[in-house]
Amino acid sequence: MSEFKNRMAAQRAILSVVNSRPRREELFGLSNKAIARWATSNGVSQDSRLHQLIESASSTLFFLANKSQEQISEDYRLASNEIASLAEEIDREID
Amino acid sequence: MHIYVFGSLCRGEISDGSDVDILAVVADYDPRLNPEEFSIYSYARLSELWREGNPFAWHLHLEARLIYASDSVDFLRSLGPPAGYSSCLRDCEKFLGVFTDARDAIAAGTKSVTFELSTIFLAIRNIATCFSLGVTAMPVFARHAAQRLGANSLDIPPGRYAILERARILSTRGKGETISVDEVALVLDSLDTIMEWMNRLVQQARHYERIQKSNGCAASDS
Repeated sequence: MSEFKNRMAAQRAILSVVNSRPRREELFGLSNKAIARWATSNGVSQDSRLHQLIESASSTLFFLANKSQEQISEDYRLASNEIASLAEEIDREID
Repeated sequence: MHIYVFGSLCRGEISDGSDVDILAVVADYDPRLNPEEFSIYSYARLSELWREGNPFAWHLHLEARLIYASDSVDFLRSLGPPAGYSSCLRDCEKFLGVFTDARDAIAAGTKSVTFELSTIFLAIRNIATCFSLGVTAMPVFARHAAQRLGANSLDIPPGRYAILERARILSTRGKGETISVDEVALVLDSLDTIMEWMNRLVQQARHYERIQKSNGCAASDS
C-alpha cells in the first residue's frame, strides 16, 4: 500500500473510534482546525486526555507527511504502532 | 529559508472559500512554522520530488512565486524543471483506490461520512490533476481540475460537486455548514458516475503509457 493510502487508512481508523460514540457533531478530519471545531461543538475540553490523544494522532500523521522515501518505511512502521495504540487509548478514554 | 506562495492566489482564482497556500523550504525543523499554515518541506525532500518528477514538484515549478529568501537565490528556480512525469498511470490507479476505499467505507455504514466525502473530493481532484499533467498538454492544478478537462471532465450536477467540496473544507479547515442526510444521499447517487469517470481516466492513462513505452522502444531500437 502506498504511503498516501497508509496515512488515509490511519486517519480513518482514528476517526472511526472517535465517531463510534454518538455526539452532536462528528469529527470531520484530523487537522487542528477540524479537531478544534469538534471539541467546541461537543463541549470537549482542550485540556482533556481525549483531546490530547486525538491531537497526538494528528501530529503523528502530519509528521509522516513530510518524510523522505528513505525514511518512510521504518518511520511508518513506528508511527503505525503509535497510531494503533492511540486508537486503543482513545477507545478507552471516550466512554 | 525560502517562502513561496502557490495555489489559487497565483492563478487569480480568488473566492470566499479560497485560502492562501504557502510553502516554506527549510534546512531543519523550525518550531515557528505551523504545519497547518505552511506546507513545510526540507531542501532535500523537495530536491527528491524534483528528481522523481512528482506532480507537486510540477505544480510548484509552474506556479510558485518566491516571497522571501534568506539568501539571494530563488531555490525552486535553481532546481530547473522537474524530471518528466512518468507515474501518471500508477497515480491515477492510486486515487481510484482512494475513492473506492471511501465508497466502501460509506457502504459499510461508517459514522465518519463527512471525512469519506472529503476523501472522495480529494481523489477526484488529484486524479484529474495527475491525468492533466500526464496525458494532456494542459496541466490543471485548480481545486476544480475535474471540471476543466474538456471532453474528459467529470459530469455530475454542480450542486453535488459543491457538497463534496464543502466536506473537504469541513475536514481540513473545520469551516462550513455540516452535510445533511439528504445531501449525502444526493452524492451517493452520483458515486457510480464518478467511478465510471475515474475508470475512463485510468484506461486513457494506461493507453497513453503503452504508446509512450512503444515510442521509447522504437526510439531506442533505431
